[in-house]
Amino acid sequence: MSNKSHESDVAFIKALAELLNENDLTELSVKREYGEDDALNVRVSRRGETVTTQASVAPAPAYAAAPAAAPAVAAPSEPAEDPASHPGAVTSPMVGTVYMQAEPGAPSFVSVGQQVAEGDTLLIIEAMKTMNHIPAPRAGTVMRILIEDGAAVEYGAPLMIIE
Amino acid sequence: MFEKILIANRGEIALRVIRAAREMGIATVAVHSTADADAMHVRMADESVCIGPPSSSESYLSIPAIIAACEVTGAQAIHPGYGFLSENANFVQIVEDHDLTFIGPSAEHIRIMGDKITAKDTMKELGVPCVPGSEGGIADVAAAKALCDEIGFPVIVKATAGGGGRGMKVARDADELERAFLTARSEAKAAFGNDEVYIEKYLTTPRHIEIQVFGDGKGRAVHLGERDCSLQRRHQKVLEEAPGPCITEEERARIGKICADACANINYRGAGTIEFLYENGEFFFIEMNTRLQVEHPVTEAIFGVDLVQEQIRVAEGLPMSFTQEDLLINGHAIEVRITAEKLPDFAPRPGTITQFHAPGGLGVRMDSALYDGYKIPPYYDSLIAKLIVHGKDRPSALNRLARALGELIVDGVDTTVPLFHALLQEEDIQTGNYNIHWLEHWLETNLQA
Repeated sequence: MSNKSHESDVAFIKALAELLNENDLTELSVKREYGEDDALNVRVSRRGETVTTQASVAPAPAYAAAPAAAPAVAAPSEPAEDPASHPGAVTSPMVGTVYMQAEPGAPSFVSVGQQVAEGDTLLIIEAMKTMNHIPAPRAGTVMRILIEDGAAVEYGAPLMIIE
Repeated sequence: MFEKILIANRGEIALRVIRAAREMGIATVAVHSTADADAMHVRMADESVCIGPPSSSESYLSIPAIIAACEVTGAQAIHPGYGFLSENANFVQIVEDHDLTFIGPSAEHIRIMGDKITAKDTMKELGVPCVPGSEGGIADVAAAKALCDEIGFPVIVKATAGGGGRGMKVARDADELERAFLTARSEAKAAFGNDEVYIEKYLTTPRHIEIQVFGDGKGRAVHLGERDCSLQRRHQKVLEEAPGPCITEEERARIGKICADACANINYRGAGTIEFLYENGEFFFIEMNTRLQVEHPVTEAIFGVDLVQEQIRVAEGLPMSFTQEDLLINGHAIEVRITAEKLPDFAPRPGTITQFHAPGGLGVRMDSALYDGYKIPPYYDSLIAKLIVHGKDRPSALNRLARALGELIVDGVDTTVPLFHALLQEEDIQTGNYNIHWLEHWLETNLQA
């Protein structure tokens, strides 16, 4: 696994840990399928303040969840397991195939942690042989990237979290 | 053989196509709007793709979304069902340009039959009997008057681009003609953005008789008899039956052959329906629907064929699985269209189905996408179920319909089920003595009081 996806895994786990605290949960487990023999299993637990992760290809290092003693006061408004309802979610405006870069081999439009301005291209969705640039709906930081290059997305599918 | 097809529709007709495909070993892709995420067709298909928000224009009518859904799932063909994009020639063209197969007729045939005047001209040339009327659009009131002197009153003024009863006005005499002409024209302009209208002789008490046709696209075509769909409310069919109670075997053979020959002549591909008004033993062409009809199951029942599987076969370039000689009528079938509407006004009633129980038993078919707890969304057609019964003859089919309606439970929303219970008590329904105005009259006397 490349260093870049390692970083995005770390950011992902970090975000999970935040969700755990924000929503006052005791445990959260997520499985992300990246492809054949390439998956990330994360279980973030408040009990004992340990985090276990398993990745079948490259094990991501454990990330210590923020101490339970300092939960954010944020109201637990949205269910933690549905990124589409996250206030920072950018959802797909169409059905199609996602491309994270302008052409094969080119750098990705954005990566986790990057600042984006409103209107910056986040990714491309191909539908009917047409490449549709999907702009950032608002300025902010890319907190999570929820899809991978080449994936098929439906209308309304969560693509990224930008806050 | 197709490995995977996409169904560009929702509701009971999407289930109908999924069932046909599954029996043929073909995988299915359902498409749906966000409002239909929990719909039965999504649950029943092998795969599903959310293609847009609730509004049909951005989902079920969105050509780019549907083509993209084919691309991401690898579906090789699209079945359009009825309604939505089923008679959109532009869509068919785009589907074919993307190297996908449209399960239906060619774009050219859809285009010809979609324009009422071109359709009538074409049918006339093919020897199909038509209603006397204007050869094309009527420019002004003077031209309308001259024509009506020739063909006689009453007449009906219709929008060239029309359908569904809008832009249609009847004139009983010369005095009414001017107003009917101008009203139809302004309605046509408002509804279809095209104010061209044409005029036809208006038949006073006709029946709606339609002939089911089927072609292989290579010059062979058959007919599958008629359906009587005279029981209509606001030009919407409510109950259909086959064979027609008033059509003789000789009449069927004669008009059926004319229709089959017409389809063979133009290399028509797939299912089609040629609609007629029938009065005093004469047939008058109204229009041709270049798709599967809502009421196709009554024809399937009496001929023992699967029209959707047949559509898929010929779309793949295979020959039809039957010849005209194979098609023999067995018994009688009746379909009732159950909608989520409240009587007496037929006000749409979307809502949650608290309990659904489908009738069963010999000769009973229920095509419905309902289930316990299903929420009928407010965005689409109010048709929630089609109950089709088949019996050895018309009286046994009527008895079976009464029995099946008694078993049906749809709780949580108002439906038109009580209408059918009431209709079955009517002598005219029992004897088959009705025409296209019968139901409107009956509703006025029996429900509005």
